[in-house]
Amino acid sequence: MNVETLIDTLSADVKPVRRHAVARRIALGLLMGGAATAILIAIGLGIRPDLGLAMRGYSFWVKWLYTLSLAVCALILVARLARPGRSASRWLWLLPVPVCLLAVIGVVEMAHVPQAEWLAMWLGHSWKVCSSLVLMLAAPIFVGLLWSFRRLAPTRLRAAGAAAGLAAGSCAATLYCLHCPEVSAIFVLTWYTLGIALAAGAGALLGPRVLRW
Amino acid sequence: MQASEDELRAMMIGGLNGHAPSHAALLRALVPLLRAFYRRRMQGGEDDIEDLVQETLIAVHTRRATYDRDRLFTPWLFAVARYKMIDHFRLRRRNCPIEGLEEILVAEGFEDASNARMDLDRLLADLPPKQAESIRATRIDGLSITETADRAGLGASDVKVSVHRGLKALAARIAGERR
Repeated sequence: MNVETLIDTLSADVKPVRRHAVARRIALGLLMGGAATAILIAIGLGIRPDLGLAMRGYSFWVKWLYTLSLAVCALILVARLARPGRSASRWLWLLPVPVCLLAVIGVVEMAHVPQAEWLAMWLGHSWKVCSSLVLMLAAPIFVGLLWSFRRLAPTRLRAAGAAAGLAAGSCAATLYCLHCPEVSAIFVLTWYTLGIALAAGAGALLGPRVLRW
Repeated sequence: MQASEDELRAMMIGGLNGHAPSHAALLRALVPLLRAFYRRRMQGGEDDIEDLVQETLIAVHTRRATYDRDRLFTPWLFAVARYKMIDHFRLRRRNCPIEGLEEILVAEGFEDASNARMDLDRLLADLPPKQAESIRATRIDGLSITETADRAGLGASDVKVSVHRGLKALAARIAGERR
């Protein structure tokens, strides 16, 4: 096609773009994916019956703050990597912060419990399924973020894929808290983090293929 | 004349605000800029460059939401252009035609062969013509002693002796060059 014709076609329909279009787009994809994951949890796994009671205890909030803060960090990375020519390395240092804080809480908790119970604390009731459930529940959110990326312009596809996977994993883990009855910090530190890391790894693997534009 | 950063940015922001003429003016101003950008960076033909320019224009249009109005425009543009170039190379490499590879291999084989021929010609030129011709006919062209003798109008034993002496002289010369 001739360049002139192309330019005429492209400028035939110029819709105004809102100022925070990138953030809106990411939020919309996240909400759609998150809704799907929430429905899956409610139908497939069930919300924990003692949720109201648990929300009054501190361990629920430790879990939630951990996964939420990881999600916020990951979404900052996603928003940066969604624009051409922006690097995310300036924000990478944020990620280890929640992990280290949770590790401190875990050590303090263990210090208050007899050594014989440590293994039970660490494995909980659901260590075998926790990580893989987080990974599976991350899939709809990852798809939602892929939809967001269709109007965005990542230039580092692997990094953007990893960030999207990390965001999907930590959001899925946040929602999974509504079902999961585990209480100990080292359980969350190990099995939640493993599931989230797997989601980030899957995102890094898929990124170059699914984010091309 | 090429548009300046400020002009481009003003047109881009106009387009983002929904002003179609600014958007069209921006895309038109980008054409020479992008052509120069790609020409400086690739050896590909004009067709490739034209394809890339058009693809980049489309990307500038469809992904314009990712431009942040508070930042410079050209870094954004060239980041998009660079991405498109890398993507283009990636695609080409995946579809690299085998016949292209063969051409390269054949061309390299040809170079080796012609180098060898030139070395041989240089060595044979130093021998007496009778010895050089005998060697060329028997050892390179693959003729028999009698065929060579008939062609040159010599006796068969004469050819044999010439080949023998010539090869000995060549061996001595090569050994001398090495030393």
